[in-house]
Amino acid sequence: MIRIRDLTFRYGGKTVLERFSADLPDRGITALRGPSGCGKTTLLRVLAGLARPESGTVAGVDPGKTAVLFQEDRLLPWRTVNQHIADVLPKERRKEVTRWLAFAELEGEGDSYPASLSGGMARRLALARCAALRGELLLLDEPFTGVDEARAVRLLDRLREMGAPVLLTSHQSGLLDRCDAVLSLDGPPLRVL
Amino acid sequence: MSPDAWKRAVKAVVPPVFWLGVWQLAALLVGRELLLPGPLAVARALCALAVTGDFWLSALMTLLRVFLGLAWGTAAGVLLAFLTHFSPWAAALLSPAVKVVRATPVVSFILLVYLWVVRAAIPAVIAGLMVLPVIWGSMTAGLAAVDPQLLEMARTYRFSRLKTLRLIYLPSLRGHFTSGTLTAFGLAWKSGVAAEVICPPAMAIGSRLQAARLALETPELFAWTLTIIALSLLLERLLRLLLERGERS
Repeated sequence: MIRIRDLTFRYGGKTVLERFSADLPDRGITALRGPSGCGKTTLLRVLAGLARPESGTVAGVDPGKTAVLFQEDRLLPWRTVNQHIADVLPKERRKEVTRWLAFAELEGEGDSYPASLSGGMARRLALARCAALRGELLLLDEPFTGVDEARAVRLLDRLREMGAPVLLTSHQSGLLDRCDAVLSLDGPPLRVL
Repeated sequence: MSPDAWKRAVKAVVPPVFWLGVWQLAALLVGRELLLPGPLAVARALCALAVTGDFWLSALMTLLRVFLGLAWGTAAGVLLAFLTHFSPWAAALLSPAVKVVRATPVVSFILLVYLWVVRAAIPAVIAGLMVLPVIWGSMTAGLAAVDPQLLEMARTYRFSRLKTLRLIYLPSLRGHFTSGTLTAFGLAWKSGVAAEVICPPAMAIGSRLQAARLALETPELFAWTLTIIALSLLLERLLRLLLERGERS
């Protein structure tokens, strides 16, 4: 169980988290559902160790062993699809590039650059790059933006097969039904409904 | 020839012909070759120079000095930019010094460096000193503009420092490096030749320029000046091609 207790985080004078507490499952796929700007991304960033809260504690997460998919794709315009995957793989796992291209259904795009990919393809590449990191916990911020629902369902199934716990944010109700747990949130400041 | 091709040809030919005409007219009006030789007299002087080995050796040695200055100035500028970007202490210590170098007139530098350095090395030292702040400024701006989201991604995905440098910093800095180097080349060329004029080394365009002035050989003075301009334009174009090819790859 990931235990979040009394987290407070302010950004630019705005209180995003105020003594926020919640227990999140540490297995399966858990979705965080809530309106835009309610603080879901901030919560993921705190769990990943990318944002430091003013106060509060998080137990059950090692930020150094998480794999984060950012809200933006953050691809490198000068690297090909193949290179994006290879860049996060250690030398002994470089042969896995093809496997991760298949994961993202990007076979045949290995030599393409991000500029020639559609929004959905770029998102799938960013997701495959994150999944290839094999984090102990996957923190995915809107992983299926621009991805059609049928494909998103397949990607969700592949993430489940990987076995690592996944915490994701999403607005797509069809996908939320397929998650193991859904936490409904509102804010700011973030609160559990 | 299509009408468009005609238009292009006219546009290419008319401006130089016009300015050559203005030059010739001005030379006729002045009427003294010592003060203003006409284009034909300069062309004759240039042809006479071009058949001598001394001309080509002087041009080659000047090129060598300028490129040497460009090389060390660029290397030092890049190194200092990284140092001042990543270390607040280095920034506090070195940034004012680089700004002073940028603000100092080239002539002051030439005369000062003349006190400390052997004559043959002065043009390269001066060219490098002019290049350094330009490259530093360009690279500092480039480093500040590197996408922080990509850097955060690199940290989060546990890229090593070397990998972050190779995959994020260097590709992000290419445009700044290209524009900085092209600007710096123009400065290196002009300041290098100026240093050669003030502290003439054995084989140099600047030395020949100075010798022509002292001998009152005005057509030769013009011929050397034309050589400087032509070489500068040619080399800048070559450098641009080279840098842009590097950027594309």
